[in-house]
Amino acid sequence: MRALKILKQNLFAALVAAAYIALFIVRADMGAASLKNSAYYIKEMLMIMPVVFILTALLDLWVPKDRIIKYLGKGAKAKGIVFSLVLGSISAGPVYAAFPLCVMLHKKGASIRNIVVILSAWAVIKVPMLLNEVKFLGFQFMAIRWVLTVAAIIAFSWITAMIVKDGDLPKEGREQIGPSINKEACIGCSLCAQSYPELFEMKNRKATLREIGGAPDPDKFGKAVASCPVKAISGGEEGAERREEIGAAM
Amino acid sequence: MDVFTLAIWVGTAVFLAVSFFRDRGKTKQALKAALGMGKGMMGSILSIIFLIGLVLTVLPPGRIAEFVGGQSPLWGTVAAAALGTITLVPAFIAFPLVGTLVHAGVGIVPSVAFLTTLTMVGIVTFPLERREFGLKFTAVRNALSFAFAIGIAFIMGVII
Repeated sequence: MRALKILKQNLFAALVAAAYIALFIVRADMGAASLKNSAYYIKEMLMIMPVVFILTALLDLWVPKDRIIKYLGKGAKAKGIVFSLVLGSISAGPVYAAFPLCVMLHKKGASIRNIVVILSAWAVIKVPMLLNEVKFLGFQFMAIRWVLTVAAIIAFSWITAMIVKDGDLPKEGREQIGPSINKEACIGCSLCAQSYPELFEMKNRKATLREIGGAPDPDKFGKAVASCPVKAISGGEEGAERREEIGAAM
Repeated sequence: MDVFTLAIWVGTAVFLAVSFFRDRGKTKQALKAALGMGKGMMGSILSIIFLIGLVLTVLPPGRIAEFVGGQSPLWGTVAAAALGTITLVPAFIAFPLVGTLVHAGVGIVPSVAFLTTLTMVGIVTFPLERREFGLKFTAVRNALSFAFAIGIAFIMGVII
């Protein structure tokens, strides 16, 4: 039963592993080539991911919420889009490297539209890519593609924001009294259980709340909330503060 | 390591040093959070990378180019865009490849469609994106990126 559960939680990894085993049985040479290809991407990933994680955590620590709301929030308008385009363009690495950064920015008040702009700029028009493009396809080709792509990004980020609302993203502040954990967002790092073991415990690699009589200790609870790398914990005053911000922004 | 990656490393190192100087405890907490993020995402990222390695072997970019070149312009473009979504090729392979495509006479339109979906739309990274941003966001973003990639390609075909 337990083995089954672990398999379910890592279904994707298990499927990839199965595909490799099958490939090695049918065509061992292709299996070896696949591993060799993967090695290159692992190197590419290791060159950028650690620094992105650290940078995201540092920005989360030092850039105040109101600053993010001002430059990347719903009210930032054209300034927000320009800022997002620049942010995405001076990046490096594959697009998934932008995921943790964008999740953090959205948590701190960046709008859906600007998140889409950052992700898209990161994917197709970052400066290192443009330089490469000039080399192989010429300046004219690059310039035209850049203009069209920026126009497209501005258009479809607007459409995305029309369809997708803040509440559709995981780990949004819930209108709820008392502490709560967004199980979908929880990555099972157990930092909350370490900082406030009376309230949090780990069950099936996810944090869960223990029954405690009365309200949680605000100091310890605040620490636990701050320690969560994916901001999956919310409740009490956090929620109230958020509602005020939303009110003020309107 | 290219200049940009290096710049991000140096910038972050300076940032980290300043942060450590200003508040040692909070910086340590931030590093812990970074480690937690890494632990949470690394498993998925590694699975995806191994899948990309496999897809590239079974479906090498050169083969894709050949296939796309043999189609009519309209189908070639849609096929190129679709194939671009399942693979994820680094820029230094993608641009020379697209360069070859254009010079070999495949046409600007399929080449640009391929180039744009290659990096912006990801079937392979879909599970990871979904976990971070939710199903709706991921589905809408990828679908719109795909549609606009084809649009960009056709407009470029008209201009050039």
